[in-house]
Amino acid sequence: MPNCSQCYNKNGLYNYLLLQKGGSFMKKLFALLLVLMFAASLMAVKITVLCSPDNADALKWLAGEFMKQNPDIQVEIVPLSWEALYPKLLQDLRSQAGSFDAFTYDVMTTGAVSFGLVDLEEFMKKYPQLVPKDYDLNDFIPQVLEESGKWQGKLIGLPFYNNTMLLYYRKDLFEDPKIRQAFKEKYKRELTLPTTWEEVVEIAEFFTRKFNRNSPTEYGIALMFPRTHTLFYMFLLFFGQYRNAPLGIMRHGTADLEYGEYFTADRKPAFNSEEGLKALEMMKKLMPYSPDPLGSDYGETIEYFNQGLVAMVPQWTGPYLIFRNTLGADKVGIIPMPGRSVSGQWALGINKFIPEDRKVAAFRFIIFATTKWADKNKFLRFAVAPARISTLKDPEVRAADPRVPALEVTYVTQTHRPRIPEEPRLEDITVETFSKILAGELPLSMSTLNDLAKKWMEILGK
Amino acid sequence: MKQGGEEGASSPLVRMKKGNPVTPWLMVLPVLALFLGMTIYPFVFMIWSSFRDYDLSKTAETKFIGLKNYFEIFKDRTAIESVKFTLKLLSIAVPVEIALGVLIAFLVRGMRGEKIIRSSFLIPMMVPPAVSGVAWKMLYNYAFGPVNWFISLFGGPKISWLGDSAYAQLGIILIDIWQWTPFVFLMIYAGLQSIPQDLIDAARVDGASWGKVFLHVEFPLLRPLILVALVLRIIDCLKTFDIVFMTTWGGPGAATHTYSFYIYKVGISFGWNIGYASALSVLLLIISMILVNLVFRLVRMRQQLGFGGE
Repeated sequence: MPNCSQCYNKNGLYNYLLLQKGGSFMKKLFALLLVLMFAASLMAVKITVLCSPDNADALKWLAGEFMKQNPDIQVEIVPLSWEALYPKLLQDLRSQAGSFDAFTYDVMTTGAVSFGLVDLEEFMKKYPQLVPKDYDLNDFIPQVLEESGKWQGKLIGLPFYNNTMLLYYRKDLFEDPKIRQAFKEKYKRELTLPTTWEEVVEIAEFFTRKFNRNSPTEYGIALMFPRTHTLFYMFLLFFGQYRNAPLGIMRHGTADLEYGEYFTADRKPAFNSEEGLKALEMMKKLMPYSPDPLGSDYGETIEYFNQGLVAMVPQWTGPYLIFRNTLGADKVGIIPMPGRSVSGQWALGINKFIPEDRKVAAFRFIIFATTKWADKNKFLRFAVAPARISTLKDPEVRAADPRVPALEVTYVTQTHRPRIPEEPRLEDITVETFSKILAGELPLSMSTLNDLAKKWMEILGK
Repeated sequence: MKQGGEEGASSPLVRMKKGNPVTPWLMVLPVLALFLGMTIYPFVFMIWSSFRDYDLSKTAETKFIGLKNYFEIFKDRTAIESVKFTLKLLSIAVPVEIALGVLIAFLVRGMRGEKIIRSSFLIPMMVPPAVSGVAWKMLYNYAFGPVNWFISLFGGPKISWLGDSAYAQLGIILIDIWQWTPFVFLMIYAGLQSIPQDLIDAARVDGASWGKVFLHVEFPLLRPLILVALVLRIIDCLKTFDIVFMTTWGGPGAATHTYSFYIYKVGISFGWNIGYASALSVLLLIISMILVNLVFRLVRMRQQLGFGGE
């Protein structure tokens, strides 16, 4: 037993408690802390955020940062695969079950899920104190805010992942003097970075060993034309080049953000046209230079480029980190997509069918996750493409990431998928027909495309 | 304080023994509620919604449309193609699984290291179909997959297992055979263990060869088990979904759409057309019942014609 006079001489009661009854005091303190933590957890509002795996790491990190600043709110991030997320959202929103509070939605499902999303403009008016003063809606790239955030004039989501497609190429091979010389000898022109698909065909042929014994890669380009939703957006990379050319605009008019390039300005199918045929012809033309284009999807094409099997790959913004980490930054070049890219944005919205306190908590989180600070940091840390102008202009961002110049160009010129509620159904029948055309099971003809357009009109009830 | 006898007389057990009609119902009520909620209600709902225009991607309201959803099936090209592929899968994979399962069971019986071989044969069946789908997708990979590497050892060309319609169908059939042959093997192997040894010994004493013992003693005794395995495999095969979901997503085109996968797409994946998906499901139920009845009828017919029986 310690001497009590020693206990009192310096820090008085505190030391006495520690030494005299140290064990029991610490236990009591610990118990009190546990009780307080338990009480705090009971008092905290818990919200669940559903998201696609692409967004999950960034959202988890942001949730951690948010909870540090807002201990009264607990955020759980639940990633669901692309195939599972949309059906889950639709099922839950239709049944008004309210099993989650906020979610990321793919731009093309905007119309289908819009009925279950909170009107954020109204919410901002109702709770102006929840919006930070420097939270500037006008800082979002206008087209992105319009496309992924708005539906029929209402603000239903805040842009989170401004995804788009870029062309990744093997910089080391394109810059190799010997390779450049060989290319010049064969094609009587310099090996330049392609800006059209016609140029890509030539370069892809050069880098395919079957057509060039000395090619450093086995194939020229990795294409993903499987029978999944992938083929639906891949078509736009090719179609966009012709659809948005002056002649295409003259024939079909300017595409709007609700119906996208698949439609004419008067909202009829635009793909059953010369432009549609040209796009599919170009896709077929490139297939011999790609490993298994009809059997490869997102994961396979990333792997083909990563393993040095191909010289080029059209891919989303996310895989850049994989390429950089495997091949090295000096070997990976990035340019805007030849022809046109396609937008693949994701926005954060709030479930309309949850209690008000959870709506408020979810609102606070999605505001936090889309601030200028969050937009910059999620890009730098997780390669989640930025939705804000300030991020694209930030010198630190520009110095850190070589994708920024390509992104700036792409955001202005990219094509868009339809966002109408019927999109998933249209997508499925389209992919089936395109897949059959590319596999040679259906003729590549205007009549095939007209048959498809007829089905579209039936689904749209026109 | 009550007497022990009085207390006993009022206990639930004694009341039940005396014939209280409510107690047995209370006992089965949880199971009954579960059965009604989880089986009967969804079944009735499926029948009800199959007669209605019920598309969740448009509205949660429904409208009676009679048999329109059913007529639609016969005009739906993808539905017809999915029926075709499902029948192909059924007619190739199931007989191969039954034949291989029986053969392996006979070969494994009495073999050295029987226990280890028996256990290892069961592994494919224990792997969840979704996991095996992912594994086979990697095995079938055009550039880096072990299947193409193996073929290349014999000078064969690279095959687009998931990108070519014919090979994709073959690929799905092979996965099904790999996964479900062990199930047939397990049933037949268990049946073999239960055949009385004295019957086999008696046949051998009478001079029956190995083949004759199999044909005239073992096979007739195993026939009911083979029939059960066949029925279960037919029902299961009609429900093939996971491996298609994980490997080909029904492609290329509609080459590997199984009927169940198509129901999933209509009902969940691309639009929550609950009415049409229900009609497709009712049809699947009818097809399953017809096929299973057909198997039983064929067996009964064989018995009547004197081609064996139990």
